[in-house]
Amino acid sequence: MDHQDEEKKPKAENALRRNFLRAVGVGAACAGAWVSKTLPAKSLADETPIPDIPGYDWRKHKWAFGVDATRCIGCLRCVEACKAENGVARDAHHFRTWVERYVYLQGDDQAHVDSQSEPGNIAASGSEQAFRFDNRYQNAPVEKAFFVPKLCNHCTHPACVQVCPTGATYQTKDGVVLIDHSYCIGCQYCVQACPYGAREFNHAMGVTDKCTWCYHRITKGLQPACVEVCPVEARVFGDRNDPESPISRFIKNNRVSVLKPYTGNAPNVFYVGIDKEVS
Amino acid sequence: MPKHIVRLMLLVAVAAAAALGAKAYFTDKSYYRYGHYRGDSVAEIAGDTPRFRGNAYCKSCHQKQYAAWEGSPHNNPAAGKHVVCEVCHGPVGPHPSTVATPSFDERIALGSRAAVLTDKGAPSGQSSLPRDKTLCIQCHEAMPGRPSAQRQVALAAHSGTAECSTCHDPHEPKIYFSNLQAPPKGNVQAGKTLAAQCAACHGPAGHSVNPEWPNLAGQHAGYLLKSLQAFKAGTRANEMMSGMAAGLSDSDMENLAAYFSGESCKKSAGDPALAALGKARSNTCALCHGAAGVGGNPSWPNLAGQNASYLTASLKSFRSGSRSHPVMTSVAKTLSDDDIDRLAVFYASANCK
Repeated sequence: MDHQDEEKKPKAENALRRNFLRAVGVGAACAGAWVSKTLPAKSLADETPIPDIPGYDWRKHKWAFGVDATRCIGCLRCVEACKAENGVARDAHHFRTWVERYVYLQGDDQAHVDSQSEPGNIAASGSEQAFRFDNRYQNAPVEKAFFVPKLCNHCTHPACVQVCPTGATYQTKDGVVLIDHSYCIGCQYCVQACPYGAREFNHAMGVTDKCTWCYHRITKGLQPACVEVCPVEARVFGDRNDPESPISRFIKNNRVSVLKPYTGNAPNVFYVGIDKEVS
Repeated sequence: MPKHIVRLMLLVAVAAAAALGAKAYFTDKSYYRYGHYRGDSVAEIAGDTPRFRGNAYCKSCHQKQYAAWEGSPHNNPAAGKHVVCEVCHGPVGPHPSTVATPSFDERIALGSRAAVLTDKGAPSGQSSLPRDKTLCIQCHEAMPGRPSAQRQVALAAHSGTAECSTCHDPHEPKIYFSNLQAPPKGNVQAGKTLAAQCAACHGPAGHSVNPEWPNLAGQHAGYLLKSLQAFKAGTRANEMMSGMAAGLSDSDMENLAAYFSGESCKKSAGDPALAALGKARSNTCALCHGAAGVGGNPSWPNLAGQNASYLTASLKSFRSGSRSHPVMTSVAKTLSDDDIDRLAVFYASANCK
């Protein structure tokens, strides 16, 4: 076979094979070029449709939140605004956002921590519907004190989403963790899973509730309600895809930290001016 | 294949088909569209109506209030201050609407889960706006933990039991002169004639003959009028003045106030060392009475050039409670005897013009 036989083959047959191979080669190259040109465009066009939100494309945004604890005055306007905007029960037990007060007295190693829902602070306003920090430390030997606003961290790797058995809570493409109340069965696994205590149970509706970064506002170009009413710029919100957005500048211009980084949830609320005990 | 195996396999196949069919029937069409969740819920959540609508919306009707606010310290973006309308007033919501939105609690009471889910109509802010100081102290009460850049006041020393709006307009929170009564338009000549009966104690031109009694010359007409009215009404008591004021008509009091306020005041001498100590203690006083005891506010007395003995007696009477005033009663309680003596000398020797 082989060498001897090949030499015996007629010239025409050799030419035929050569032409055939050439045609196949050119065809493959053309097909490759065509595929490489059309595929990316085709894959974009073929991608699943985006949610039907007028004037909003969730692929174009990457939301994040900043808290500057050195500016917070503990006025709790954010807490009340959140309740009003989102219809959170107006009592002392249901909050989507809250504010903690850390007070170090002279000689103490540990901070005294309280929040607006603590009974003494409820007594200060005289109502469960209005929030105020009482002035219990006004005559105390305070060494250091500050307020820390807290809310859902809208983590990049949210443990709450991982444990949800029904897909009622999920992460959107623009980085917000939401709850579909009509699919929530109220099992509260997610409440347990959240390392930040950011989820609360809505007893009236029998579902879990949490901060949405006011998704109905940010998709309309507005700020979350708590950011809108913060009188001292302690709360910052914006799009990390825009290098000039308030949050991008906040992260760029400050040394920011996140709460409990060791849990691996990769929070998207960035803090400035918090102390070792804040978690 | 044995018959019973075929039957079993058929049974399994039917069960599997039923399960898959049930899943397809009960799972929402949009489930798995973007991931392991109901895709339509994203747009549903995004479709809620915002209740906080921003300053521009308020401005479209309330231009006067907006203009006052715009130039005030409550609007100072450079310093990071954005006390926008809805910080104090609460969310605009559907305002101005004649249709009352049911509150969250009311909708809960209706028992409709759908109603709770669809309309997040928390009560609109107007009704919840406190008109008293509880509104202001949420940000301005001195409290450990508040950054020092935040304007804070120790309530007892700053204003006592008085409401913030006595002196401040929340839209433009400087001292709020327009809130105070306009100076009386009395007849100076008629006042001069009447003043003859005052001269025995307060001197012919309002310069008192006894340092225990106040000088009246150059005092604010508004304050003089208010004092006479208080003596006549009995809200301020003095064995001489209560009787004197009882015989004065409203126009008499206006005329007297106009006359004495137009006279020229004199400062008296005092120990400069004591005066310096008094000046150092006068920060609180300066808020209302002016840095040097001459305030622009016609309802509150000028202190510069007033008799030291009278000032001492007044502060002590406020402190003991025998004379009462929403602000002064509290302020006086923060002063020691030494403080009072020094302040009195400081103001007595201050230039009253």
